[in-house]
Amino acid sequence: MEPLCGRERVGRQLKHLPVDRIAVSEEFWSYTIRHWEEQGKLPPGTDAVEHFKLDLDKCWAFNLRIDPEMADRLVAEDEETQTFVDGNGATLRRYRSHASTPEHINFSVVDRNDWEEKAKPFLTPTANRIDFEGYRAVRRACADAGRFFLWSGVNVFESMHPICGHENLLMGMALDPEWVSEMAEVYSDLIIHLWETLFAAEGKPDGIWFYEDMGFKGRPFMSPEMYRELIMPAHRKTIDFAHSLGLPVVMHSCGFVEPLLPYMVEAGIDCLQAMEVKAGMDLLRIYRDFGEKIALMGGLDVRPVANNDLPGIRRELETRIPVVKGRNGFILHSDHSIPESAEYESYRYFLETGLELGRY
Amino acid sequence: MTDFEALRAAVIKGKRNDVAAIVQAAIDGGEDINLILDRGMIPAMREIGDKFSRNEAYVPELLIAARAMQAGLALLEPLIAASGRKSMGKVAIGTVKGDLHDIGKNLVAIMLKGAGYDVIDLGVNCDITKYEEGVKQGATIIGCSSLLTTTMPYMKEVVAYFKDKGVKVVIGGAPVTQAYADEIGADGYSEDANGAVKLIDSLLKTA
Repeated sequence: MEPLCGRERVGRQLKHLPVDRIAVSEEFWSYTIRHWEEQGKLPPGTDAVEHFKLDLDKCWAFNLRIDPEMADRLVAEDEETQTFVDGNGATLRRYRSHASTPEHINFSVVDRNDWEEKAKPFLTPTANRIDFEGYRAVRRACADAGRFFLWSGVNVFESMHPICGHENLLMGMALDPEWVSEMAEVYSDLIIHLWETLFAAEGKPDGIWFYEDMGFKGRPFMSPEMYRELIMPAHRKTIDFAHSLGLPVVMHSCGFVEPLLPYMVEAGIDCLQAMEVKAGMDLLRIYRDFGEKIALMGGLDVRPVANNDLPGIRRELETRIPVVKGRNGFILHSDHSIPESAEYESYRYFLETGLELGRY
Repeated sequence: MTDFEALRAAVIKGKRNDVAAIVQAAIDGGEDINLILDRGMIPAMREIGDKFSRNEAYVPELLIAARAMQAGLALLEPLIAASGRKSMGKVAIGTVKGDLHDIGKNLVAIMLKGAGYDVIDLGVNCDITKYEEGVKQGATIIGCSSLLTTTMPYMKEVVAYFKDKGVKVVIGGAPVTQAYADEIGADGYSEDANGAVKLIDSLLKTA
């Protein structure tokens, strides 16, 4: 087969059509890129997508916070950390020196009454929620480079927990499911209305990428029944809308979400991304059980890369890629992202070995 | 006469008001608080924990059961102090230095409290000094949690520091495995929150 460009390759892989080689994508911690720049491995300001010739790129174009105009407001700091109140009214603490999931200090929305008063009236599809310019720039760069371009952003679960916190949201799913259903519906409608505005103004992307972390180590946050009842209708609505525009949908989830996967497939996802090995996700098992229905991106244990264990990287790739490339629907990606402990050469080895094994 | 079965069921179903009502009625009726705890509330939390381990219950059910348990404990706490009831053990738990993630640590704390342990929640970003504060407050077991591969190595320092100090260190978190626990010489590892309770039961031989 003649070499394909990234746009053709990813587009075909999401439909399980034959390709020249598996496509490649990756996410890097910001401190990883900085570390490599400081070492002189990357020129300052390098775009990793361009440098590593990745096949797709994405643009996070929406701000779904309750107050999209509010910048994070610093409320406390010490030598190591800074505490902010964000546009959702949530108080979060982050490290100054490195990337990490923030500590959840406080949330202004804890139940239905707070939602009705402090959130719902403000979640309207106004143009100030959309980064038109950013979207236009990445879309144009992808078109120029022949890369697959995805609109990226959160779906409903990742929209709801930032306003009320995981604990309040999960308790709400058990104690007041109608409230959670309503929040999910409001956010799914918001996303669709904003898409209509953006795509009318700037044109469509090649696909949609949803971030939707619904699991942790060994289990999903919710039961499959709760997913089906409270979250899946919103997923189906947004995915159906994307499909009506001819856009395939990639869904990212951290954690162990295999029990939800039958319903995520029923909701219409075209590709599952991340598949964290350390959380219990097993690429080969998922490929066996779902590989005919959806494409898969990731599922390759990042720990050998993080530990700069080159034989371990090769072992990880050799035991999986020859199998999972079988239905043309596998895209090379670590099982989450490349952390700052990974040396440039280790990622390069992961990439080159993966591509070598992923040729057809 | 307290209906312990009704109390147990109310905790499991997360019926906070029902738990408070049953416990208040039991207190008013002069019920032995040890029986309220040992025949009603603690077995309920252990049962929901076991359901969690079998994937018959998920985090939402765990959280509302803990909330219901807390409603009963709030009524019992003044009486527990006065009764001289012996603690099952004191555990100091915290997310390790460099890591601000607390959901997993909070779940373990909830399950330990539900199982009857005294829990000192040290919060996040805990260095050895912070863990030592927990020991000074009487903890005989330290629980270390981490989310990130980059913060996990600090557990090795904690384990090394407390070795031979009469304190056991147990570990858990997304990147942590039994193999890693063995490698650094930790006293135990658990895959999930309910497993952490059973692990500490076994270390303190309270089960």
